[in-house]
Amino acid sequence: MNGEAILPYLIIIPLFGAFSMPIVSLAGKKAREAWALLISGATLAVGSWVFYWVYENGTVLYTLGAKSPLGQGVSFPIRIVWEVDLFGALMVLMVTFVAFMAVIYSLGYMRHDTGLDKYYTLILILELGMLGIAITGDLFNFYVFLEIMSIASYALVAFRNDTWEAIEAGIKYMFVGSIASSLILLGIALLYGEYGTLTMGYLAIKLSQNPTVVGKVALALFISGLLFKSGASPVHMWLADAHPAAPSSISAMLSGLVIKIGGIYALARIAFSIYGASVSVKTVGWLIILFACITLIVGNAMAVIQTDMKRLLAYSSVGQIGYILLGIGIGLAAYGSQTGEIALAGAIYHTFNHALMKGLLFLIAGAVIHQLGTRDLNELSGLAKTMPKTTFAFLIGAAAIIGMPPLNGFASKWLIYESSALFNPVLGAIAIIGTAFCTAAYVRVLYTFFGRPGGKALEAKDPEKSMLWPMLILTIAIIVMGLFPWGISDKVMIPAARALENQLAYIATLMGGG
Amino acid sequence: MIQFQFITAFLLIVLGIYAFLAKNNLLKLILALDIIDSGIHLLLISLGYRIELNEIPTAPIYTGYETLKSPMVGPLPQALVLTSIVIGVCVLALAIALTVNAYRHYGTLDVRALRRLRG
Repeated sequence: MNGEAILPYLIIIPLFGAFSMPIVSLAGKKAREAWALLISGATLAVGSWVFYWVYENGTVLYTLGAKSPLGQGVSFPIRIVWEVDLFGALMVLMVTFVAFMAVIYSLGYMRHDTGLDKYYTLILILELGMLGIAITGDLFNFYVFLEIMSIASYALVAFRNDTWEAIEAGIKYMFVGSIASSLILLGIALLYGEYGTLTMGYLAIKLSQNPTVVGKVALALFISGLLFKSGASPVHMWLADAHPAAPSSISAMLSGLVIKIGGIYALARIAFSIYGASVSVKTVGWLIILFACITLIVGNAMAVIQTDMKRLLAYSSVGQIGYILLGIGIGLAAYGSQTGEIALAGAIYHTFNHALMKGLLFLIAGAVIHQLGTRDLNELSGLAKTMPKTTFAFLIGAAAIIGMPPLNGFASKWLIYESSALFNPVLGAIAIIGTAFCTAAYVRVLYTFFGRPGGKALEAKDPEKSMLWPMLILTIAIIVMGLFPWGISDKVMIPAARALENQLAYIATLMGGG
Repeated sequence: MIQFQFITAFLLIVLGIYAFLAKNNLLKLILALDIIDSGIHLLLISLGYRIELNEIPTAPIYTGYETLKSPMVGPLPQALVLTSIVIGVCVLALAIALTVNAYRHYGTLDVRALRRLRG
């Protein structure tokens, strides 16, 4: 099947699966679990195929409705289009893979909760929203998918509504998220009023012909809204509340995927594909670099002083978002040069790696909570003796996120360090300081794990199979990706960065396809 | 006349943001979110309603358009606002459900009481 024909199934399969879930669950628990596995597995298969197709054949354009609605030979893009370049396809692969792992993990982890038909419905809607953002080429379509994703994640953060923690975190997340969405909608309204179109590629043409102040105001609104959604530093407080309060399988998806797709990916897409040729990329780049530096210092430094394991991981996510933003900022500020390309490739690479690493770490935190019923680091001493497999997986995940050489985090962080040092040595130094804090935070957790056993840790044991397998698969993925760092970087990440940077090709695909 | 709508939209958005920052009651915050949304919707819908050559635009119905001389309202903003209203209702429903739960756990609707998560 070719890429264009299979693209709609990325949305159709999870959408159908989500809303048939309540009916299927009438047949019992086993049917519900099998259905969730089947649907997310099928989505993973479609996602992998889309990635393979885009990797082999280049950008895919899918049109909803007639290709040329105004008659023969007219290529005015008034229809909704989906446009997947290599960067988008990579995000599709990442989302479907980590979401599949989270669903497998949920089978064991959520066993003691009630209302599971709603849980699986929401998790599939969350996946669907993220996939939609990754493939869309229309600004309002993007907003709709962003809201689908956001509403599902508000509900999932507050899923355990018998605890005050989940409700408080859910309310905070919802208010911040809604304000951010309103800013983005306002930006879209301004752009539509000024240029009369919502197709991203066509907006890029209109903007480069006639860059106005309104367009810049809209860009400011987009950047502020998306920085809210990605949890960048001055507004990261909701993230540190929301991610720990959610069930761990959801934390893995929120930290690994939602803040990347709804924040970083959308920011990169809007900054490069829409505004690339019509604003001063240097100014925008430096603005993002400024936020990136604050984020990466604050996030990593706050991670060091946490006593709650999941909160530590959440702050660490803030720190890692800082690295990705730094890469994108340098990619914008050094637009067109080789340094910019390396920085962008590093940012994309780190986005992918961090989804695997933080997904793994949150799943481990969930396993620990499941066994011990606590996530206070002071009570976790000595888990290495009683939970050896979990501890091994944590060791790999922590080493990868710090950036130890034989693992995948090393390559992506190296690209970011290298490019930031080339671009401006001060930024390189800031990035290294952030890593020092990050190392301190994870060494503290490892020190606890390998400490003297005592208390609850004595009765703990490795979790059941359905929770162990996703952890194992993610660990293997991290190790295998670490074995071929430069191969992956040259074959996938650099071309993805080029596809993102090459605004003209993005527009040409749109206009030529009409 | 067209500026009047934009000024109203702007005032609604500013009013909503003020209420969001100044009020402490959860229900009032939800109302503030809704007012901001309404302002943006009004802005969007006004963008489709353009008065050109002093002629009032008609509804965008293409049947028999050739005989009709006056301009039409842009249909796209209406579709966008309809979608956006549906999304707004979803957020509103979820927000109210969470507020009910918050009242059960905290016994108050004051947002200043929701500060147990720290660190």
